[in-house]
Amino acid sequence: MRKKSGQLKVLVIEDNPGDFILIEDYLSEEHTALEIQHAETFKIAKEFLSSANFDTILLDLSLPDIKNPEVLVKEILALSNGAPVVVLTGYTNKNYGMKTLSWGVSDYLLKDEINASNLSKSIHYSMERKKVQRQLYESEEKYRTLFDSSPLPMWVLDRNTLEFLNVNQAAIELYGYSREEFMQMTVRDLWVEDEESIEKTVENNLHDFFFIKVKHFTKNREMLYIEVQSNPILFGGREARVTLAHNITEKLKSEEKLRHSQQRFKALVQDGSDVISILDKNFHYAYISPSAKNILGVNPEQLQGSSAFQFIHREDRPYIEDKIKFIGKVKSYQLPPYRYIDGKGNWRWLETIISDLRDDPAVNGLVATSRDITRFKTQEKELRESLERYDIVAKATTDLITDYNIEKDTFQFSNAMYDIFGYNSEELDTSREWWKERLHPEDYQRVINATEEIFTSQKKLLNIEYRFKCADGNYKYILDRSYVITDAEGKPSRIIGSIQDITERRKYINAIERSNERLREIAWTQSHVVRAPLARIMGLIDLLKNQRNNLDNIEEIIDNILNSSEELDKVIRKITNKTEEEF
Amino acid sequence: MLEVIIVDDDKIVVFIQQKMITNHDIASNPISFSKADVALDYLNEQRKEKKNFLIFLDINMPNMNGWDFLNYLENHEEKSNYHVVMVTSSINSKDKKEAEKYSMVRAFIEKPIASSDCEKIKEIPEISHFFERV
Repeated sequence: MRKKSGQLKVLVIEDNPGDFILIEDYLSEEHTALEIQHAETFKIAKEFLSSANFDTILLDLSLPDIKNPEVLVKEILALSNGAPVVVLTGYTNKNYGMKTLSWGVSDYLLKDEINASNLSKSIHYSMERKKVQRQLYESEEKYRTLFDSSPLPMWVLDRNTLEFLNVNQAAIELYGYSREEFMQMTVRDLWVEDEESIEKTVENNLHDFFFIKVKHFTKNREMLYIEVQSNPILFGGREARVTLAHNITEKLKSEEKLRHSQQRFKALVQDGSDVISILDKNFHYAYISPSAKNILGVNPEQLQGSSAFQFIHREDRPYIEDKIKFIGKVKSYQLPPYRYIDGKGNWRWLETIISDLRDDPAVNGLVATSRDITRFKTQEKELRESLERYDIVAKATTDLITDYNIEKDTFQFSNAMYDIFGYNSEELDTSREWWKERLHPEDYQRVINATEEIFTSQKKLLNIEYRFKCADGNYKYILDRSYVITDAEGKPSRIIGSIQDITERRKYINAIERSNERLREIAWTQSHVVRAPLARIMGLIDLLKNQRNNLDNIEEIIDNILNSSEELDKVIRKITNKTEEEF
Repeated sequence: MLEVIIVDDDKIVVFIQQKMITNHDIASNPISFSKADVALDYLNEQRKEKKNFLIFLDINMPNMNGWDFLNYLENHEEKSNYHVVMVTSSINSKDKKEAEKYSMVRAFIEKPIASSDCEKIKEIPEISHFFERV
């Protein structure tokens, strides 16, 4: 664009030929390499400017084809293509010159005061100023490009109010707010928590750089972890700060995941219920997991190098040795339960699976996974003892003990089945149907309903009296006390029954109930049949005694008393007979 | 006016009650029924008369007993005009409890009816105004 250095290309817009010659002279005086174009009118100047670039434009404000100096200046500036415009004016009014400066010209010179040196100085100063302006503009342009196209979210905030003054595209994309929305917001609108501490950091570093980790919300309330770097700047003359927001959400998430997976692994190996150990081919410990400390009360490090066998109960060693013969032939096998002496000298029952990983260079040994089954073993022993006790009780009692398996529909009866009901093993069937068939028809529905409750309302205890048919066809009264055993899911699985022969007791109770019934009858007779004639007698005597003067037929009343007395006598005799009847 | 009727199957009881009722100025000539259903027919006939009835009612009677009789009356619109005195030979508290369920029953008397019973009947709030001395 520019001519080679030193050469000056000037456009002089001047309608007065005398003035032009003067200017040309002044210019020639100071410059050797000079190219001057002369335009007498605005129209000609316009043509020059649209076809070539000039280093400087000298403009006379009084032209024939444009009267308004402000319009003229602005038109020329628009066409100047960055060249400084120096106004030449005949007016001596200083204020007028100042006004032209405000329109954007670089300098103004009074024609009367122009000489070669001050004209040249003005041209050079104007050109230098323009150059500096352009550099400033370009650097601003560079900054703008850097800001706008940065892949890192950035924004400019008012240093005092924290209002957004500018945001870049990356920030718009990350947060989901439009530029217009950002411009209505302050950075506080992004904060999730710790508002006070952020305010403090901002306040303490009002005119300083700071770095801070914060949580931000995006427009649709997604939380981001942000590393903020903020520098104070002047932005359009305002105290501002430019902030670089580094989104570290993903980084934190993956770090979190890694930490979780490490914790999980640690939990499995260290706090797990299994002891994992690596043994060399001679069954010496090469490694033993930290969980050994909790489970066996031993120090894992001290065990390293020692033989695993020395801790195993002498009686159990042969079984283990019998098994480990197969090493090398199978990849993995389970050892029979064995006793292992723990750190306190107590025997623990262990169950171990051995995996042959001698081929794996990371392991290079046998991996033994052992589980403490002491509690299970103890329970097993208790269960066995309890079963033995049950057998003894069943034998000792005269009650019939039944054990009904609901799923298989089979009864198990104790020997009392023969003693009480006379059924020997050939006559016995073990199904529920067989049992039901032997219920007394009058008790049948009641017993069935009661047993149904076990399934419908989770009843645990059954306590019911009914009659049950013996082998000889007679019925016996029994008291059936049954207890329901449920499986792990709470579903009834077995019914254990204790069945007592109460026939004798029942007969006696029946007799009592019958005599009670008779007593009730007598009582009723008392209150109704006896009272009727007695009340009559009392009523009649009352009349005789108190109303004697009002009575017409006393003889008849006395007859009635007699009749009623006889009736009463009969009734009392009947009661006596009834009482004696079946007692 | 208050009409007095006696419902009892025992003639002697009716005789005693009539004497007591007249002598104590409860009524000059009480009507008696030996069968509850006949008494009920009579009351049905009298329904339009808007009369008050004092009914001496026995419980234990053949065919329709005292309870059946009460149950029929329960459906009458004129229910509040019936003032029932239960008269029974039973000293059964169950009967007394049962009688309390009926709003018409004003008193419960055990046979034989006594002078004091008659005086008490005259003081029953619902009918006492019929016996006020002029």
